[in-house]
Amino acid sequence: MSFGGGGGGGRGGRGGGRDAKGAGGRGDKKDAGKRYFFRRRKVCKFCADKIDYVDYKDVKLLSAFVPERGKVLPRRMFGTCAEHQRKLTLAIKRARNIALLPFAAD
Amino acid sequence: MSDRVYEILFIADPNLGEPEVDTLTTLIQGYAEKEGGRIQKVEKWGKKHLAYNIRKHNEGYYVLVVVEGKPSLVKEVERRIRVTDGVVKFITVRVDEELRKAEGRRAARARVEAKRKRPATPRPSAAENEEVPL
Repeated sequence: MSFGGGGGGGRGGRGGGRDAKGAGGRGDKKDAGKRYFFRRRKVCKFCADKIDYVDYKDVKLLSAFVPERGKVLPRRMFGTCAEHQRKLTLAIKRARNIALLPFAAD
Repeated sequence: MSDRVYEILFIADPNLGEPEVDTLTTLIQGYAEKEGGRIQKVEKWGKKHLAYNIRKHNEGYYVLVVVEGKPSLVKEVERRIRVTDGVVKFITVRVDEELRKAEGRRAARARVEAKRKRPATPRPSAAENEEVPL
């Protein structure tokens, strides 16, 4: 019985210690704590770089938005704005047609 | 109808030599000119790797021809390219509209930037004028 109580107390004490230390630890190590609730806000690359015309011939630019598999990824992956995502999608499809980008990697 | 600008990007057979690709390019330019098109630009990208195999080729010569002309030009030029040997694949894209819109957006942005800069100078001077009577 005393063993069980001691165990419980120890666990409780450890838990409390962790909480207290955790708060201090988060203050000390910013990255470790922030990871849970802070996500870097993504900005549309096309807006930031003032690219008005998304060119299907610009493989270097397009391949940055296409994974190895050759898929068009959702907006949330790169943070592109709706307007530029539409243009990007069209450009990727054109580039695929002329074999600048793959339809599906094998 | 005003003329439109089209980009014709085609892939030539990689087994062709450099001079043969040149003749092919002039041939295709000739198709466009015959239909009343004006060549704006010709760009040779050279031999590039294809993202996937086309007609058992895994590489090809990319050549870009920018042409200004009537919509009917595209139909005839595409038909002729289809029956031309040595062209592995091609794509025709109308670009005038998009480029014009892009130009408009660039101009609009320039106007906004100019507007942002202009009031920045008179405002401090106005503040100074108010302070002088005090």
